[in-house]
Amino acid sequence: MNYTKQIQDIAGRLFSEEKIDVFIGYRNTGFDENQVPVLINQYKDVDQLLFTDKSVFNLANYLKYEHTRNKRVGLVVKGCDSRALNLMLTENQVKREKLFIVGIACEGVVDETGGKAQNCVECVMPDAVVFDEMLGTPSGKRDYQENSDIRALDGKSLTGRQEYFEEVFENCIRCNACRHSCPLCYCSNCCIDQETATLYHGANTTSSAFHALMTWSLHLAGRCVDCRNCEKACPSHLPLHLLHKQNEKVIYENFQEHLAGMIQDDRGAFYKYSLSDPDDFIM
Amino acid sequence: MNLTTYSTDPAGLQAFYEAIISAHDTYAPVEKFGKFDFTRVDSLSTCNTDSPIPKTMSVKPLFFPKSAKVMKYKATSEGTELTDTEEDPLAGKRVVLGVRHCDARSLQVLDAVYKWDYVDTDYGKRRENTILISTRCNEASTHCFCTSLDYDVEQLDAFDVAVINGLDEKVYLQARTEKGETFLKENATGLAVANGSAQEEMKKQFEKFASSFRLKMDYTEINEKMQGQFDSPEFEDVSSNCVSCNTCAFVCPTCHCFKISDEKLRDEGVRYKSYDSCNNVYFTLMAGGHNPRPVKYRRWRQRAMHKFVYYKERFGVNLCIGCGKCTTSCPVNISIFEVVNKVAK
Repeated sequence: MNYTKQIQDIAGRLFSEEKIDVFIGYRNTGFDENQVPVLINQYKDVDQLLFTDKSVFNLANYLKYEHTRNKRVGLVVKGCDSRALNLMLTENQVKREKLFIVGIACEGVVDETGGKAQNCVECVMPDAVVFDEMLGTPSGKRDYQENSDIRALDGKSLTGRQEYFEEVFENCIRCNACRHSCPLCYCSNCCIDQETATLYHGANTTSSAFHALMTWSLHLAGRCVDCRNCEKACPSHLPLHLLHKQNEKVIYENFQEHLAGMIQDDRGAFYKYSLSDPDDFIM
Repeated sequence: MNLTTYSTDPAGLQAFYEAIISAHDTYAPVEKFGKFDFTRVDSLSTCNTDSPIPKTMSVKPLFFPKSAKVMKYKATSEGTELTDTEEDPLAGKRVVLGVRHCDARSLQVLDAVYKWDYVDTDYGKRRENTILISTRCNEASTHCFCTSLDYDVEQLDAFDVAVINGLDEKVYLQARTEKGETFLKENATGLAVANGSAQEEMKKQFEKFASSFRLKMDYTEINEKMQGQFDSPEFEDVSSNCVSCNTCAFVCPTCHCFKISDEKLRDEGVRYKSYDSCNNVYFTLMAGGHNPRPVKYRRWRQRAMHKFVYYKERFGVNLCIGCGKCTTSCPVNISIFEVVNKVAK
């Protein structure tokens, strides 16, 4: 999977036709094999851009920061990234007419060990679902697979699980890298930052980490697209995907096989209100 | 002050460590979720005294924990009652193994601010009761640049005992402070006083280590040039892909900003002191709503300028010790080395 040439051409064309103000892509770190996101403002920088199976970060995340606000933006999205972008569009965080989306028919990115990342192995939608231009040959939707770590956890006893998660929360340093790397955590005033909210109370204790992370995961229930930006960002290497994958599984099984961000204007399992709802209560 | 050097072999070092662990309260890097954290250990097999720098959290939490209780309070009809919290769990006598030189240096840098206008007695007590045993690296990691900064890595006295893995398969243990000298004397069973070639062997090891650095810069030049760069447009460019989380500051061995928050229930509560970071948008938010650093580049400017200009002006040392932990932990690998070199251009 290498779309470096095509992306450079597209970005170059967009800048010379003055269709965009900023292009978000990937560049080499310059010191190792990995890639980092880059925001390009002018034509002469487009040769920095590249795209391979090491282009991991979900670039939709940058649509919430000041560098792209009120600007015409071009960006590269893989399957999972495009689902997040779809949700941002649905939730009125970005305007579609301001975006030029380069969609990728993704073949999976690599993880730290060099093998195919777990979320790519279990991916349900490798192709971009929203795009202006598509690179690669789409391979279509795949069957939903239950996460192997969740299955392994299900085998543990209740106290075993409790002990495991207590250790997870104990190791959290409350740096909020997970939240800031998540494209769908766009609130400018997050509830877990409120000093008056005694549940989270700002201190880095195990209990505050538990409440903050649980609240975070519930706000993303039915919205998380499994791009794993949060997990890759975590300096403590905590298995944050467990929180989201469990929610995803419950929602998939109970809400008509719902998966977040697959269809435009679909508000997600917990955020829809309909008079024709068969249930007699509102979630 | 006469400081002794001892020599042994790798097996002797293991025995020395084991003896320490059984006799003292010992902390060492323990693997948790794929990264190493300084934790209390009971046996050498559970820890890794040679853990790689990029995967090891700093030793800072042993002196400045991520969250510490300051006091308890209770409102009564007679007024407010303030009580000390229970005993500080980090204040006892202890030994820390496997600290890297840069990490230990960070404590020397932090001493300046903790003994400044307000003397932090908790911090002072934790420092005083700790023996630091520091292993010199054999090779620099990708983001390391400790040899490019304002301290002598070879003769550093920020820790009590230096452990140097010589190229001649011998291990040298060198006392660097009087505290270390006494400690080694008391615990030197199985160690021999090193002979004349030790100095040369240690120098050889350092030269090999020093030649393995990818990153090199002249810190005097950076300090000088950064001073006039407050309005540099480069800050906007280097911070453009920052995601504004607090990771760099929380993993940084020298970042020491904290916030005060209360865990309260009705009339009583506990007051905590926890990490805070200048990369956090709320850091400078004032009552009334004004925020002098509402955008990323201003926060990044503060971070870079504090490390290489303001702290230097006030205390005479740089607030960066070149360990590269911020770069490795950053979700988008923003390198402080690159930032200051671009800005100081």
